[in-house]
Amino acid sequence: MIEALLVFLVLALFFGMLLGYAKIKFKVEGNPVADQIDSILPQTQCGQCGFPGCRPYAEALAEGNSEVNLCVPGGHEVMIQISEITHREPKEMDASNPPPEEPMVAVIDEDICIGCVHCIKACPVDAIVGTTKMMHTVIEKECTGCELCVPVCPVDCIDMVPLMKTPQTWHWPEPNANSLENRS
Amino acid sequence: MSLPYSSPYIHNASSVRRTMLQVQIAAFPALLAHIYFFGFGITIQWALAVVAWLVVETLLLKLRHRPVKPFISDMSGLITVTGIVFCIPPESPWWVVVSAVIFALVFGKHLYGGLGYNPFNPAMLGYAFVLISFPAEVTQWTLPAGISGHHLSLWESAQIIFTGQFPPGLVHLTGATPLNELQTALVNGASAAETWAGSRFNDPNLINGWFWVNVAFLIGGIWMLYSRAIRWQYPVGFLSALALMAALFHAIDPDTYAPVSFHLFSGGVMLAAFFIITDPVSSSTTPMGRLFYAIGIGVLVYVIRNWGSFPDGIAFAVLLMNLFVPLLDQYTQPRVMGHKGR
Amino acid sequence: MSHLVEHKPLKHRFIEWLGRFYPMAKRLLYHFHGGVFPKYHKSLSNRYPLVEDFIPELLTLPLQQHLGVATEPLVSVGDRVLKYQRIADTDKGLSAPIHAPTSGTVIAIEPRILPHPSGLPGLCILLEPDGRDEAQALTLPETPTSPQSLKTLVHEAGIVGLGGAGFPTFAKIPDQRGCIDHLIINGAECEPFITCDDQLMKQRPEAIWRGAELVAQALGIPRVLCGIEDNKTEAIKTMTQAADGLPAAAQTHTDFQVRPVATVYPMGGQEQLTQELIDLEIPSDKHAIEVGVLMMNVATLAAIADAADEGKPLISRYVTVSGMGLNAPFNAHALLGTSFKALAEKADPKTPLTYPLIKGGPMMGISMHSNEVPVIKTTNCVLANPPEDVEPAMPCIRCGECMDACPIQLLPQQLYWHSRSHEYDKVKDLKVFDCIECGCCSFVCPSHIPLVQYYRHAKSEIVRIEKEEEAAELAKQRHEFRLARLEKAEKAKKARLKAKKDAVKKQAAQTTRQSGDASAAAAKAAAAAKKAAAAKSPQTDQTTDSSAPKTAREKAIEAAKARAQKAAKKADDSPTDNPAAPEDRAQVKPADKRKAAMEAAQKRAQAQKNASADSASDKAARPAATETESKRDKRQAAMAAAQKAARKRQQSSDNASENTDQSSRVDSKIPAASPKDKRQAAMAAAKKRALKAQQKAQAQKDTQAPSPDTED
Repeated sequence: MIEALLVFLVLALFFGMLLGYAKIKFKVEGNPVADQIDSILPQTQCGQCGFPGCRPYAEALAEGNSEVNLCVPGGHEVMIQISEITHREPKEMDASNPPPEEPMVAVIDEDICIGCVHCIKACPVDAIVGTTKMMHTVIEKECTGCELCVPVCPVDCIDMVPLMKTPQTWHWPEPNANSLENRS
Repeated sequence: MSLPYSSPYIHNASSVRRTMLQVQIAAFPALLAHIYFFGFGITIQWALAVVAWLVVETLLLKLRHRPVKPFISDMSGLITVTGIVFCIPPESPWWVVVSAVIFALVFGKHLYGGLGYNPFNPAMLGYAFVLISFPAEVTQWTLPAGISGHHLSLWESAQIIFTGQFPPGLVHLTGATPLNELQTALVNGASAAETWAGSRFNDPNLINGWFWVNVAFLIGGIWMLYSRAIRWQYPVGFLSALALMAALFHAIDPDTYAPVSFHLFSGGVMLAAFFIITDPVSSSTTPMGRLFYAIGIGVLVYVIRNWGSFPDGIAFAVLLMNLFVPLLDQYTQPRVMGHKGR
Repeated sequence: MSHLVEHKPLKHRFIEWLGRFYPMAKRLLYHFHGGVFPKYHKSLSNRYPLVEDFIPELLTLPLQQHLGVATEPLVSVGDRVLKYQRIADTDKGLSAPIHAPTSGTVIAIEPRILPHPSGLPGLCILLEPDGRDEAQALTLPETPTSPQSLKTLVHEAGIVGLGGAGFPTFAKIPDQRGCIDHLIINGAECEPFITCDDQLMKQRPEAIWRGAELVAQALGIPRVLCGIEDNKTEAIKTMTQAADGLPAAAQTHTDFQVRPVATVYPMGGQEQLTQELIDLEIPSDKHAIEVGVLMMNVATLAAIADAADEGKPLISRYVTVSGMGLNAPFNAHALLGTSFKALAEKADPKTPLTYPLIKGGPMMGISMHSNEVPVIKTTNCVLANPPEDVEPAMPCIRCGECMDACPIQLLPQQLYWHSRSHEYDKVKDLKVFDCIECGCCSFVCPSHIPLVQYYRHAKSEIVRIEKEEEAAELAKQRHEFRLARLEKAEKAKKARLKAKKDAVKKQAAQTTRQSGDASAAAAKAAAAAKKAAAAKSPQTDQTTDSSAPKTAREKAIEAAKARAQKAAKKADDSPTDNPAAPEDRAQVKPADKRKAAMEAAQKRAQAQKNASADSASDKAARPAATETESKRDKRQAAMAAAQKAARKRQQSSDNASENTDQSSRVDSKIPAASPKDKRQAAMAAAKKRALKAQQKAQAQKDTQAPSPDTED
């Protein structure tokens, strides 16, 4: 009887110490949730979530002050990832505002542009160059396709166009034809 | 009628159906031997199992909204039921085999997502289910005709299976298998050698039915190795592990532990080596993993036979090793060309 | 020294015999893992003689026939070009120039569907041959003796890897002598149906060896090995004989050997052939030349010989035209740019060629989206295999055939599961980028799963994701930089303001009596300064034109605002308003909101400026602008005004009177413009309104817009 008690006492002590050690050894620093969310957000800085940029949205989510389904460019996949990180119920995306099917970039019609700098001010990533009364242009490589510049243009000279498909940018499609498994 | 989207545009004409049919054909010698030694009971059981398979699988495919024809005609279900039929006694009641098949297909296969997705060997799952649920019915094996002195006709077998009534005067048709006897002897502390020497199965004038059925399985298995329906790692790993274990313990204590030949050719060893553990879906995928998987089963079978409470441990050994498959897959990846180490 | 085909050892012969009963025994005949033994069908095209001098009606020459960057055309539409003339080149990076395969006229330079799996169009030079095949004089280059001269020679001749990869050959050649131990000549040709390298080895073995000799001399290579699969007995014979015929001088420095290798797919892979011939595994993270191995296809070497000895650039190549759908398959010495269909039609197709032809062999080839695609430098085969019933893909049963067949010992099924479930990080961990896409796994898969396509998709997805992550990181950095910059600007502004306030306070402290007066005076002063600036800006616009002050407009707006806020009813209008828009001014009521007018004026001025910039005329030309130009100016101005008006109307709901004011102003303006301008302006107004009001039926509005009566 006494041996059994002793054994359990020793075991309890041992595991207790092990747990204590693990807590010190594998300590997690900072608020990684916001960082984690920020790292999966598409960084278009489009503000469609209602926050001024991706980072604020991530922080709001980390504090539990926002919904998981607000990132429009990220779409369903990002929503699922966010709900996994925040341990919240996934919520359907707003169907009326689907993410673009292919990557888009803004293009300024340089014949119409009047050089008002409104779009330059609106661009969250400084991807538009130009100066007052000079024609503006979009650096295609840096444009995130956030569309923030489109409504501010007074002469409607900014269009969102899909990136040109070339053999170099082409991707092999995923196989699905003829598969019996994918039929339902 | 269209080209595949991506190369290659030619194929070696293998298919799932073809592989499964090869396995089925390889089981025929054993089926014939079975009929010869134990009577026609197995054909009735087999027919029952096939009917049960067709009904259950069709129903489940319909429920899962999957096309029925390609998934029935892939014959994977047939292999499952064949495995079950060879495991259960040929004169067991009809509901034993039917419930085994239903359990195997429903819980062993379709609940996990059907062909290709089952983590456990469905045949062994079904067999383990009836072995635990109806131990009396499943361990009473029909005695070889040489011992019982009567070769059951098809009609007599059908009577026993469907009514449970033995024909008058033929009460001692079923009994314990050699493995059962040995198990009992071990539990009672008797010597294996003595038990075996005094066993009614060890009559030099008689032919040991189990031995010859095992030989038939071996022949079918070698043909499967040749036709590449199965991989060499399974039988080699399993049989050598079992033989090594048997040899080791027999050398330590020949009185308690049966010789190697007894272990290799009794129970369902050859059936397991070539037809059960070779099921690729529920086994490891890497060459090394397969070898370890088969060795693990061999060791477990020996352990269960000698120190477990069941006479034969193949079903449980296979199911246990199925659990280790993800681990084996992870740690036995081969070295990729041009890379050092894993 | 080369030696004749040695007698095979007994073990070898036994395995071959065993292979008749158990085909997989043949895997013991070679050193790499896996491999498959498809039906080769090589005799189909080997039975018939070589087709030469076939000039089609049109040659399509894509500007990119190699890995790297596309070339730029050196000719223009309508030019007549001669055979061997360089017609496209670039110095913008890794590329190879393109030469005219025959004489003729450039009839177009336009996008055509490329021989690429995407089926996307790319820029091509379309050459209509005149049938005269006039060649320009060839200049014989010096025999290359150094890596650099060899590189120049190879690049000038437009030679790329002709085995199929299309990597520009000059880029493959190392810069230093003596760092290559083995030159491996790839004559394995392991793909079924293809026999063009076999043909070349039989017809021109001297050219291949000559090319090898040149490369070996230039790079100081001690050993040249030619690997040929042992099913090409005749080619082995001719190549061995030709090796013996090499000049003795070359043979003293270099050892030339023919090495028959086992017939197995994919023996022709670079890693596989290297391992087979010199028992060396090329590390995954290194190029072959880093471990002293240079591999070249037989056709590439023959092309190098032609370029060095005759000065001929690469304008044609051996192409196999074969397949189960053709009655008379053949090998052709085809001009680059010949269409697939023209070649296949020559081989007497059994059925009309309504199905896609395949570029390359059946194991690694790609099916074409159009049969009109041209033969390019990397086209070794045009394959016409009529489609058969494709078995539907069943679920993976984990049988492991694919793993046994993989020549680099990947785990194809694990790759497949992870690719299927989009776990691309795991796919990458399983070394998908080592996959050579040889197709062995799909070939043996009993479930008929298109494994290779899964890997191709996974590879491109991984690349895309990595690019996206990079772009996201860049966007994040730029966004953060922007925020920091704005914050800094804000701080600077605040600091300035504070300093000003402090100054004012100090002043107030000094003159403690009339603090209120002082601040009022300060505000007045500021307003005056702004006004002055506003007054100046339109003038500068008018006079200096091209070098307008940056913030003139903003200042003007601010000034206008300030005025409006103050509501100073000073009678004297700013005199600068009038010269800004004299022609419009007359029609606009003087009591109009100054702000709007000023903005309109600004817009007009700008529009004028833009227009003048467009027409690229100098300042002197401006006053005498053409009618169209002035029209355009007017239109622009009207448009801008209308837009402004529309916007105002939408946003200022509190100011109803202004609304009517604005619209009336627009109405009054419109008669001055031509009907077309009116429509334009109205349209713009409608557009703006629609946008601002977030109306969903914008498109509808736009279509209605042309009828002016519905507007305003």
